[in-house]
Amino acid sequence: MAGPPNKRQKRDDKQEGQMPQKKFYRQRAHANPFSDHDLTYPETPEAMNWGDHYPSYVATVPAAVPKDDPVATEDGNDYGVPRMTKQVEVADIGCGFGGLLFALAPKMPETLILGLEIRTSVTEFVQEKAKALRVQHSPESVPGGYQNVSCIRANTMKFLPNFFAKAQLSKIFLCFPDPHFKARKHKARIVSTTLNSEYAFVVRPGGRVYTITDVEDLHRWMVEHFEAHPSFERVEGEELEGDEVLKVMTTETEEGKKVERNGGTKYVAVFTRLEDPPWP
Amino acid sequence: MQHPFQCIASVQLPGQATGEEYLAAACGPRLMLVNAGKGIVAARWSTSPTNATSEDKYDEAEAGERPAKKQKTSNAASHAPNIIKLTVSPNQQYIVAVTDDKFIHVLEIVGHGELKELSQRCMPKRPCAIQVLPDNATIICGDKFGDVYSLPLLPSEVAPIQDVEPGAEDGEAAKQEDPAFKPSATVLTVHSKRNRMALEAQMQQKNFTAKKEPLKFEHKLLLGHVSMLTDVIYATREVEGKQRGHIITADRDEHIRISRAPPQSHIIEGYCLGHTEFVSKLCLIPGTDLLVSGGGDSWLGVWDWPTFKLRRKFDIRDAVLDVVEEVAQRADMDTTEAIKQADKSVVVSGLWTAPFTNAKGKQEIALLVACERRPSLFIVPVSRLMLKKDQKTTQSRIDYPVLDVACVGDRLIVSVDGRRDGSPCLRVAQLHQAEETKGEVLSEKDEEMEAKLQCLMTSSKDIPADDKALDDLLYGVGNLRKRRGWDAPGDGAGGTEVDPTSMPMDPNHTEVVEVEDDLTVRKL
Repeated sequence: MAGPPNKRQKRDDKQEGQMPQKKFYRQRAHANPFSDHDLTYPETPEAMNWGDHYPSYVATVPAAVPKDDPVATEDGNDYGVPRMTKQVEVADIGCGFGGLLFALAPKMPETLILGLEIRTSVTEFVQEKAKALRVQHSPESVPGGYQNVSCIRANTMKFLPNFFAKAQLSKIFLCFPDPHFKARKHKARIVSTTLNSEYAFVVRPGGRVYTITDVEDLHRWMVEHFEAHPSFERVEGEELEGDEVLKVMTTETEEGKKVERNGGTKYVAVFTRLEDPPWP
Repeated sequence: MQHPFQCIASVQLPGQATGEEYLAAACGPRLMLVNAGKGIVAARWSTSPTNATSEDKYDEAEAGERPAKKQKTSNAASHAPNIIKLTVSPNQQYIVAVTDDKFIHVLEIVGHGELKELSQRCMPKRPCAIQVLPDNATIICGDKFGDVYSLPLLPSEVAPIQDVEPGAEDGEAAKQEDPAFKPSATVLTVHSKRNRMALEAQMQQKNFTAKKEPLKFEHKLLLGHVSMLTDVIYATREVEGKQRGHIITADRDEHIRISRAPPQSHIIEGYCLGHTEFVSKLCLIPGTDLLVSGGGDSWLGVWDWPTFKLRRKFDIRDAVLDVVEEVAQRADMDTTEAIKQADKSVVVSGLWTAPFTNAKGKQEIALLVACERRPSLFIVPVSRLMLKKDQKTTQSRIDYPVLDVACVGDRLIVSVDGRRDGSPCLRVAQLHQAEETKGEVLSEKDEEMEAKLQCLMTSSKDIPADDKALDDLLYGVGNLRKRRGWDAPGDGAGGTEVDPTSMPMDPNHTEVVEVEDDLTVRKL
């Protein structure tokens, strides 16, 4: 099979600043989240080098400040990674080819958005696309200039707490997750009673979790599990009206567009993270 | 060959003035309770060969989906299952034993050290850690799948509410209740031709395997990790006059999670992150806010768990190297060569605390560390753990790999794997620290008590011991290490695509040009 080596080459042949082409980054849709996959992840959120992903947001001491100034903090923190002016606040879990990320970035120029994807080639595609977009668009032409969006390869089912500190995120998106139809695969679903506690941990009280899928069974499963979890409450009707990101999520993901082409239905559910009750 | 005692635990029964010290020891499938002071075996209890019926039921349910599993369990059912975990309730009245076949047995200690089995409950997955909560009414149990369950210590007679089917007479109703299987995928959600054909076949299918039966006893899923759990402990802390309970769980993916106790166990308070290899054991230091964790890293983590901060990494690599050297010397091997080739990995298999009287006559606590297969027990006074730099540990020369440790009175009973030459499997020592020991906590053999515990050896001579089976039973912790570097570091960033022709087949890494996009089909 002459497939992979040629693809890799064609991928690398791309010019700097040119948009990557999806056909060179295809990968099997399913990856086992229970496997070890040779992933890299920081041992703790403070050890993560976000400067590699959001270079515009690295905190630097202004040049005019002398080195021994008692007030100015150092460039790096205890783990030797650069300090950032902002923290990631929006996470797209299972971002795929990044449709939602790139549609959302100009709408939230003041927020750092991160896509998490377990498949290697797909992550590379999104990273390449972000790079290309940053080159093609300056912050004047597009709000934020796509500097506020990036993508990492991660298994969120296992390692979400390695990337995000408690109550760091204000939004999590779960768009068209793998339905895992068979009963014995239900434990691999991205939403479960036990995993919801981890989502509750990284999302701040008042923050929101957005889910969308075209599989009704999965939609009912996600609603059931989030509603059953005491830290979440479903947001419906009026409270959803002002929410801009909802429309973006419904129309801008690659999978969402495919569903529309095929004439399917999209089921949306939004949940808000409640405050923790006091200790008994 | 003497079967070693894989688990031991101290039990204190109400007795004369100070209470009588007993030792519960699990040897293969048998549990024995011995009066440590008098040296008499007070009671014996054995597990029975596996209940063939309940095992088969599970097999049937899974047969349709995964036939391979059936073969595995039928082999194991031939002999009595071993006891893998042992714990005593805080009020010293109940012993909970977990066996190889996923059963949790609760035994009551009656009269003068007699054991009476109260219940046996089968868990869905093999438990890896078990503890009875301070209320003496609940058991928390973590399993290898990642879930933590709570069960009542004494199950009630009444059938739990979950059981909808009342019994035999409603057999028909039960069948009807089970709805005909309806695939959740529809023509709209399935996009590729091959998958659509599979969907049509599913819609026409008539025969479906029954769903897995829910557990028939009262239980509650408290929390879960996606990774394999390795240890679960319960901790309490007093804040503003009230006791706050926490559940601390450790998993194979280097996480230590701290959640609130039930009924709020869905709330994660925080994580103690910092380990780079699996965590296998957790140990709370009584009287402090310290948590010690050990696993595949060459250091022990000393955490201030209420704030989730790592106070220090206590390095034990030097201590392990010393042991490797000594073993090589004892075997009269060419030391430098042997050491180069020896396995120097650190796998912490046990962490315990033991009280001792320090040089100034005050009661202090020492941390005991055992590494898998290493013939040594490391002793560190807790006061040294609290320092920043000093990492000397005293090594207690034991001669055989340490399996378990229990404190009976002021004596330390260590269970060792003495199979090789039939030497006594239980050692007794007393810890002491004096001016002349220069801060080191030494252990002194207590031969008198060792002789008293000989009765246990004689009582268990008949238990069959097979080398391979014993190794599997006793030394599984090292297998928790993940084998990284599975893919060859290729031409891109970490975790690259693999050329299918050169690497062993791994479905997660094979690149298949999946038709994900209708547009692409047309292009081709």
